[in-house]
Amino acid sequence: MNNTITLGLGEKAVSRDPQDILVSYGLGSCLGISMIDPVIHMAGLVHAVLPESMNGSEKADPITNFKYVDWGIENLLAEMIKGGANRSRIIVRMVGGANILIAPGHTNTFDIGTRNIEKAHITFQRLNLKVAAEEVGGNTGRTVRVYVADNRVTVRVIGEKEHDI
Amino acid sequence: MIKDTAQFDQELMKMLTTITGEGIKNAAVGFSGMVGRSIEVSNPKLELIPLLNIPKIVGGLEDDAVGVYLRFEGDLVGQIMLIIPYTKALELADLLMGVDKGVTKTLGSVERSALGELGNLCTSFFLNSIAKSVNASFRPSPPAVMVDMVGAILDIVVATAGGVNEHVLLVHTNFMDGPRVVETDFWIIPDMKALGQLLQKKTTS
Repeated sequence: MNNTITLGLGEKAVSRDPQDILVSYGLGSCLGISMIDPVIHMAGLVHAVLPESMNGSEKADPITNFKYVDWGIENLLAEMIKGGANRSRIIVRMVGGANILIAPGHTNTFDIGTRNIEKAHITFQRLNLKVAAEEVGGNTGRTVRVYVADNRVTVRVIGEKEHDI
Repeated sequence: MIKDTAQFDQELMKMLTTITGEGIKNAAVGFSGMVGRSIEVSNPKLELIPLLNIPKIVGGLEDDAVGVYLRFEGDLVGQIMLIIPYTKALELADLLMGVDKGVTKTLGSVERSALGELGNLCTSFFLNSIAKSVNASFRPSPPAVMVDMVGAILDIVVATAGGVNEHVLLVHTNFMDGPRVVETDFWIIPDMKALGQLLQKKTTS
């Protein structure tokens, strides 16, 4: 029996249980960032909401906070390594960052999706992580699933079947 | 001034409930005018929801839905997002286009435009009512209509409020045309500070 672990906003999950499927449903501007060490079958997923903490807007703990793209990536990586993953084997995949709101006068005002993607790329570069695959941007919501058993990551958009990335 | 959420809950939720109740009733008047028949509303349920809990409360995040989004400016700045389940939006389109239930199968540009207009009308009537009760004025922007997964539409609410508001207001109501019921969620992202000041003014006046 498969066990679905659903991630809410700003949540993360790391698992080595082959029964587990890590899921973030209906990502819009949010990013689902997955890391997998295929050798030890460890998979992690973080559901990040905003690019970075705004200056002084929140007294959040950077170590436990997964709401922001930069901290989320750093913290997920740290947790994977702490759990036994080998940094050089980690496969990174990224999904989401869409701009759902397309209408005159609204389009670019709150394009958090694009800012999330940019922040993620900067963070990956800083941490020297390569992105193996990404399905980001555009104007549609996406569901991301991470299958611990076979190291697969899938994406589904509205009205379509899920596919591997 | 609203000092904290607890105070906001205790002192102002009751007043907000009354005001939004009036607003929703007024929205139904606008709705009725548009479809040319009497549309009733259920008593709206108002909740103050922590930002990150939104998806947990809504559920069905991968389900298809229609979102109608507007911003408003003036004495109070904020955003409103109406979320209607997709099948209900099709029924609503039937109603708006004056065809039998079940005729609309997909939302083309005409249907989207009609839904956008409905959202525009409802929120304008809603805002007018609120403006009147707090003696303020605000203007809504043209509506944006989107069809996508519930979670993706909610991301707009979360992302635009994120870093500014810790909470958003949810008004859940049903629009009824005889046996037809359309469940609608109004997500309201006000500038909390300005809202507090406005309501305070009303309390003390």
